[in-house]
Amino acid sequence: MKDHLHTSEDQLNLPEEFSRRSFLKLAGFTFAGGVLAGCQQSNLEKAIPHLIKPEELVPGVPLWYASTCAGCSAGCGVLVKTRDGRPIKLEGNPEHPISRGGLCAVGQASLLGLYDSQRLGAPLAHGKESTWEQVDAAIKAELEGIRKRNGAVRFLTGTITSPTTNELVRRFLSTFKDARHVVYDPVSSSALLDAHERTHGVRALPQFRLEKATTIVSLNADFLGTWLSPVEFTKAYRQGRSLQGTPPVFSYHTQFESRLSITGSNADERVSVSPVELAHVASRLLSLLTERAGRRLPVAVPLLDERLERCTTECVERLWRTKGKSLVVCGVNDVAIQVVVNAINEVLGNYGSTIDLNRSSYQAQGNDTDLAKLLDEIRSGNVSALFVDGVNPFYDLPGAQELAAACETIPLPVSFGERNDETAEHMHYVLPQPHELERWNDSEAIAGIVSLTQPTIQPLRPARPLMETISIWMGTKESAYNLIRAEWERSIFKRQTREQSFTQFWNKTLHDGFAIVEPKRQAVSSFNPAAVAESLRQLSTQSLQQKLFVELHASSTILDGRHAHNAWLQELPDPVTKIVWDNVASLSRKRAESLNLHEGDVVRLNREGGRVIELPIHIQQGHQDDVISVSLGYGRKGTDRFHHVNPKWLQAKPTVEKGGTVGTNAAPLLEWKGKTLSYFVSGIEVERTGTNRQIAVTQEYDFLTNPNLLGESSGEKRNIIQQASLATFVANPSAGSFPKPPLDSLWPEEHTYPGHRWGMVIDLTACTGCSACVISCQVENNIPVVGKDEVARNRELQWLRIDRYYEEEGETLRVAHQPMLCQHCGNAPCETVCPVLATVHNSEGLNQQVYNRCVGTRYCANNCPYKVRHFNWFQYPRGDEIARMVLNPDVTVRDRGVMEKCTFCVQRIQLAKIEAKNEGRALRDGDVKSACQQSCPADAIIFGDVNDPNSEVSRKMKDPRTYRVLEELGVRPSIGYMTLVRNSDGIAVAEGGMKNG
Amino acid sequence: MAEILSTLRPPLVLGNKSYADITDDVCSALERKSSTGWWTSFIIAVGVLILGAISVGYQLVTGVGVWGLNNTVGWAFDITNFVFWIGIGHAGTLISAILFLFRQRWRTSINRSAEAMTLFAVICAGIFPIIHTGRPWFAYWFIPYPNFRGPLWVNFRSPLVWDMFAIGCYLTISALFWYVGLLPDLATIRDRAKTMWRKKIFGFFSFGWDGSNRTWQRYEKLYLLLAGLATPLVVSVHTIVSWDFATSIIPGWHTTIFPPYFVAGAVFSGFAMVLMLMLIVRKVMNLEDYITLHHIENMTKVIIATSGMVGLAYITELFVAYYSGNPYERFAFINRALGPYGWAYWLMVTCNVVVPQFFWWKKIRRHVGMVFILSIFINVGMWFERFVIIMTSLTRDFLPGSWSGFTPTILDITTLLGSFGLFFTLFLLFARFLPMIAIGEVKGVAGVKRATPPGAVEKRKEVAHEPAPVG
Repeated sequence: MKDHLHTSEDQLNLPEEFSRRSFLKLAGFTFAGGVLAGCQQSNLEKAIPHLIKPEELVPGVPLWYASTCAGCSAGCGVLVKTRDGRPIKLEGNPEHPISRGGLCAVGQASLLGLYDSQRLGAPLAHGKESTWEQVDAAIKAELEGIRKRNGAVRFLTGTITSPTTNELVRRFLSTFKDARHVVYDPVSSSALLDAHERTHGVRALPQFRLEKATTIVSLNADFLGTWLSPVEFTKAYRQGRSLQGTPPVFSYHTQFESRLSITGSNADERVSVSPVELAHVASRLLSLLTERAGRRLPVAVPLLDERLERCTTECVERLWRTKGKSLVVCGVNDVAIQVVVNAINEVLGNYGSTIDLNRSSYQAQGNDTDLAKLLDEIRSGNVSALFVDGVNPFYDLPGAQELAAACETIPLPVSFGERNDETAEHMHYVLPQPHELERWNDSEAIAGIVSLTQPTIQPLRPARPLMETISIWMGTKESAYNLIRAEWERSIFKRQTREQSFTQFWNKTLHDGFAIVEPKRQAVSSFNPAAVAESLRQLSTQSLQQKLFVELHASSTILDGRHAHNAWLQELPDPVTKIVWDNVASLSRKRAESLNLHEGDVVRLNREGGRVIELPIHIQQGHQDDVISVSLGYGRKGTDRFHHVNPKWLQAKPTVEKGGTVGTNAAPLLEWKGKTLSYFVSGIEVERTGTNRQIAVTQEYDFLTNPNLLGESSGEKRNIIQQASLATFVANPSAGSFPKPPLDSLWPEEHTYPGHRWGMVIDLTACTGCSACVISCQVENNIPVVGKDEVARNRELQWLRIDRYYEEEGETLRVAHQPMLCQHCGNAPCETVCPVLATVHNSEGLNQQVYNRCVGTRYCANNCPYKVRHFNWFQYPRGDEIARMVLNPDVTVRDRGVMEKCTFCVQRIQLAKIEAKNEGRALRDGDVKSACQQSCPADAIIFGDVNDPNSEVSRKMKDPRTYRVLEELGVRPSIGYMTLVRNSDGIAVAEGGMKNG
Repeated sequence: MAEILSTLRPPLVLGNKSYADITDDVCSALERKSSTGWWTSFIIAVGVLILGAISVGYQLVTGVGVWGLNNTVGWAFDITNFVFWIGIGHAGTLISAILFLFRQRWRTSINRSAEAMTLFAVICAGIFPIIHTGRPWFAYWFIPYPNFRGPLWVNFRSPLVWDMFAIGCYLTISALFWYVGLLPDLATIRDRAKTMWRKKIFGFFSFGWDGSNRTWQRYEKLYLLLAGLATPLVVSVHTIVSWDFATSIIPGWHTTIFPPYFVAGAVFSGFAMVLMLMLIVRKVMNLEDYITLHHIENMTKVIIATSGMVGLAYITELFVAYYSGNPYERFAFINRALGPYGWAYWLMVTCNVVVPQFFWWKKIRRHVGMVFILSIFINVGMWFERFVIIMTSLTRDFLPGSWSGFTPTILDITTLLGSFGLFFTLFLLFARFLPMIAIGEVKGVAGVKRATPPGAVEKRKEVAHEPAPVG
């Protein structure tokens, strides 16, 4: 976004120069407000064109609104692009202090949820459609009764970051004698908060400042993938790992983990540990660090085995060296480990520097203890009214069936949600909630950072937000807009001093999407060492003996299952396994061999108590031998809607069986360990079923080395990813470079680029492989979903893929992620072979695909050395009428039989040119941002005009790290890749590799 | 009948045929009611053709996705079949044109069928470049025709455009050559016709042939000219087809050896196919006197020679891949032999290099059954040669992250079968309605006979002069 707003927290003044875009954003707010006021209740029956066109509405010109992402509870800022009243794209808000312009794949894909025609269209009463009046009357009557007999009212929600909603729920519950608001997160971080309660006297989630950390040690925390706030963390992580400056400030990241996570794949050192070892590593780190600090632990900590002892000692060395500038994070939902980790950070003096407990985060507020208590109450039949919002307890908790049976006794179970899900179907009343893009909402995800959500479309379904419902039940009947305004005027406005009038503050916040206010102070007490001894004792009792664990973790794409109805995310390859449309039981090759299992064999994971799930197995590199990892979030009810998401033909296999589900729900395996939910489950029996299920992956061969066809280690390594260690990079900025091939040509230069020449640079050091760009591209460019079977046939259509390569060297596993898209070659092999000139080079260096002219010989795709061209094998179904509203009108919807590929977002280039022309100026660097670049949380992609010597891209092109993939072919790609630099000493990748022939 | 006696050459036509015998032998087959054998074969062929037609129809309606292709493997059975059929066609032109110019008079017994085979094979081949496209209804855009869209022109740098010209030329010349050769025989049938319609139809198609000296003279001149025109095509068509691969940048395709290698392979497979067909035809149509063991032996000798060339090409490819020092190229060939499609490679090597070596034995060369079986092997091998070239290079090219495999679908297989159905349907119709043997030409060589039984002491000093060329 070209905007003049400042990103820094202290410089929040309205820009001096009020840009057109800023004006549009403000104007857009006014428009949306008008729509809201006018159309709240009415049913629109006829669409008539504007008799008098509102000034800001120009057909074909997008309007942008600043809003807040609701893909998870991290609260990233988004800009919503609307065209003709339809939101068609979500992009990161560059000024938003949490996400700073990044937006993850989940956030971007959440747009599709708006156009889901299966969202509830009316409230349900006892499973039947009803009206709001009837439902309200019935519930109010019931509530009156409960109030009179002092029945227990329980509000069960996920993390709610909205201050208004929280306040309303509080007020609503305060009208009852026995009422409680219970919060839980389906993938819980409760222990992290509980640990702080024990060590710092405040149950809060601190804000982790990865950008300030020179040494990062993560114990199974997938902070670049799904943990708490991945976009924020990715931004910060990258900020702390910059190759600018001499010497560069580049953090050292050690990851102790049991499965290969996306975070582990980026770590400088990755230590694969079993869950038990993990606990002992934490203790050992603490004990070594305490020794360093000249103190003694009250509890003796056992030594680890040789390998781990070496790793932890090294780790401690680094941590101690960078004391106060280090950070240890832990993703295990176990209070004891978290307390030990807190103690480690305390010894290192990280509180107050890399860990901010004063400005705490509200991104995860779940409290497993509360939840456990509520479940007990439900089981004992003591709950009179249960309101469920934003979570799906009958799906994502263990023992869901038993729980559902217990709920039968509750007189008033009510669910708020978008669809009649696993929980809703057991509820007497289901009250549909609007999508975040069609409602007003607010959020305070991190203390002091408040953002607003504004409606960007007239509601597609007659839903009513929770806050309005509560307001009606409390007899006030206010609109969400008024409720939020009132709450903000009451509490939030007072927490800032910059703006004098509330209206000004409100308008500015709405325009910007966020505001910075004073965080609410919490009473943080000093570190309490007493908790540590107990935790250490608890951990030391765990036997180091080997046993098999199942690790349950959030899916990288559909998270805890809340996005299971999102076809884009279902088809987004997992950044590590590259699997789509399924969850699997991942295990190491060694374990698979010992169990005599092969890829795709379906196994039964038996847990005592009859809890069984069946899953196909997947052999995964870097997996700890004692762990089988399974992704949560799959097996959601109603996902058989994707039965025919793939094209129909003779040998097509449905993406999901009728009546079946996409993947299998692994939640039944979850285990209560005391009062916390444990994601490491032991006592699992693995049983072969003898059947086999096809796993659809987008990458079939995972290595940079050729297969050993001529015997052991005959495989040569291919020169595709340049890698260097930080030390060699500092000594020589072009370290790790492949030999430059001689590229002299007898032919005269065929193409001249008199004006612009578009180019891109992708920094492999920055790229984490998170796949936000893949979805961004898919949304921007109307790329259809093709279904599991088509992906299994290697016919996925995403224009941008991320190749993920493994390199194994003894114990160490190195992972490299390489975004691969059309390279817009200056000497493109696809162009010469097309018989009908359907793919041609333009004067700005774009390799253009002319869909109308394409006959579909696929010769171009065959001759593409990067294999980035995608063919429309069929006429792909694009969903129903509502789903098709998401299509970007600026991009052609391709028919069957034509080739397609990355266009460098030519529509964005054109738009920027038109805007520049209208403003009578030349195109500036940064005016055009490709979709993949815009939302990249790691800022790994730079796009721009290579002919402009001052543009960022042309500067990066000249960087000694920049190289072209397969340069020796002489195709002269327009995309430069920058050497992957790791902060590990041992990389001798500069040597070896192959010589160019 | 002018007798030509030779001590050196075996007779080209056995059975001491008179001109009338020859006419009778060839034409009577067309004038009888069809045999049950013919009907059975025809029904099977048409059945398979219909199966293929349904497959193609379904594919046109549904999309190319009904084949097993994918993002990495854009071509598989489709282009394999195309190159295979184009290759088959080569023997016909070689026999009719080059052997004609080289005065190989033994060709007369087989040239008609071989030419027909060429024509039908080219028809089969021509279907694939059209149906393999995503939008076959726009396949005419390959042709540079004047239009009002710009005008939009074709890309003359694309080997597919060259292909279009090459195949177009080939089809035209082959059809013309075949048809011109048919003219005197069509007239013969016309003259023998008993019914009015038969007379009229053959009368029309024989272009009023009157058998006069002048007609013959002009006919022979034209035939010679067409042979001259067709000769470069033998080399050019498959050369150009090979450029589809050779001009690309994919390792394993990007090789300069492809043109000669493809031409040799084409002749090799073409002769195997001619052999297969001739062995059936001579048996079914009672033409053993015309298509003799001598003919069969000659053809097997061509096969040994071309098999050697193909084998040499295989070895050269491996050597050059090693010697080039190009890691991608080297891997492409290691992978070709030892990778996931290694079985296809070794099947190809066995069929194309090992199997033909049996033809060094005269006994096998003259054993009809053995020759038949071995030619089937060769045809299988040559289909796999194209499959291996396309598959191994496409599935594993530059970036390992994009590597893939290929599994044919049912429709891949039915379409391949369908092309055989089409080929045999056309061939059977040809066998039923047109003379399988060039009557006029065979008559020219019927007089070549052994002077004395072989081995007898030869007293005669008169050296048999060369039979006068037809032209």
